[in-house]
Amino acid sequence: MKNDLMKCRDCVDLLLDYLDGNLDEKTQVDLDEHFSACPPCVNFLETYKSSSEVTTVLRDQEVEVPAAMEERLRSFLREQLSAAEPK
Amino acid sequence: MMNANSIDTQELLDGLKAQSALAVDNLVHHYSRPLFGVILNYTKNPSDAEEILQDTLLKIVRKIDTFRAESDIWPWMKRIAVNNSIMWLRKHRTARQVETQMDDSLPQFSRDGELQYPVFGWSVDPEEVILNSELSGQLYEAIQSLPYEYRVPLVLRDIEGYSIKQISSLLALKEATTKTRIHRARLFVRNKLSNYLDGTP
Ligand SMILES: [Zn+2]
Repeated sequence: MKNDLMKCRDCVDLLLDYLDGNLDEKTQVDLDEHFSACPPCVNFLETYKSSSEVTTVLRDQEVEVPAAMEERLRSFLREQLSAAEPK
Repeated sequence: MMNANSIDTQELLDGLKAQSALAVDNLVHHYSRPLFGVILNYTKNPSDAEEILQDTLLKIVRKIDTFRAESDIWPWMKRIAVNNSIMWLRKHRTARQVETQMDDSLPQFSRDGELQYPVFGWSVDPEEVILNSELSGQLYEAIQSLPYEYRVPLVLRDIEGYSIKQISSLLALKEATTKTRIHRARLFVRNKLSNYLDGTP
């Protein structure tokens, strides 16, 4: 039996605050109650959470820099340096 | 992953402070790849990204005296790259992004607000994604295809770990707007990954 007060739609809207632990106590209780009676929402929560977590793999990824580009960057910086401080 | 440990950071720092050309070459050689990786999360256009990278490197060289030696240099460099990317996007922002693409990824509800289709459950962790190049390609593709209004808040939250408050102030958005965009972006990514994982035999 599903909670009359909270619908799946409300549930989905609350997921961000739920994961951040930002819900007030009453909402939190209602939501947990809905989860306990609604397997689709539990699946939704898990896949939502998982999507957010796997995104971290893009943190500090290294990306190929073509040799020509590296050369452009090097000469740009050398130019800037010598322009800034003529010795 | 950040792999510039092969370089002596102290030597690099001293060299940059002395404006040594060799140190600048080393900076470019060792840090271009990770910095380019950071920047490409904000713009998918390689020539825009190169412009941002160029400016980032220049700022690093010019601001090296403000770097506090007791902290780690990589987070400092990365912050410059992130701020530069955001400034660049704000300057070049265009309104040509279409919203429909985002709406397609919203979950479907019945009239009384219940999830309409069976929701396929799956769970992958970051290690699995790293090992599975097809899956990481899907993820990368999903994030890159987000309109930048959604992509940037998501990247700042889920990749860089900034708080809602920090993101709102960086992007000059109301906190509620920031939250909505991150939420919609996650729904979009979730939908793409679901389609992929669901369709796997
Ligand atoms: Zn539900």
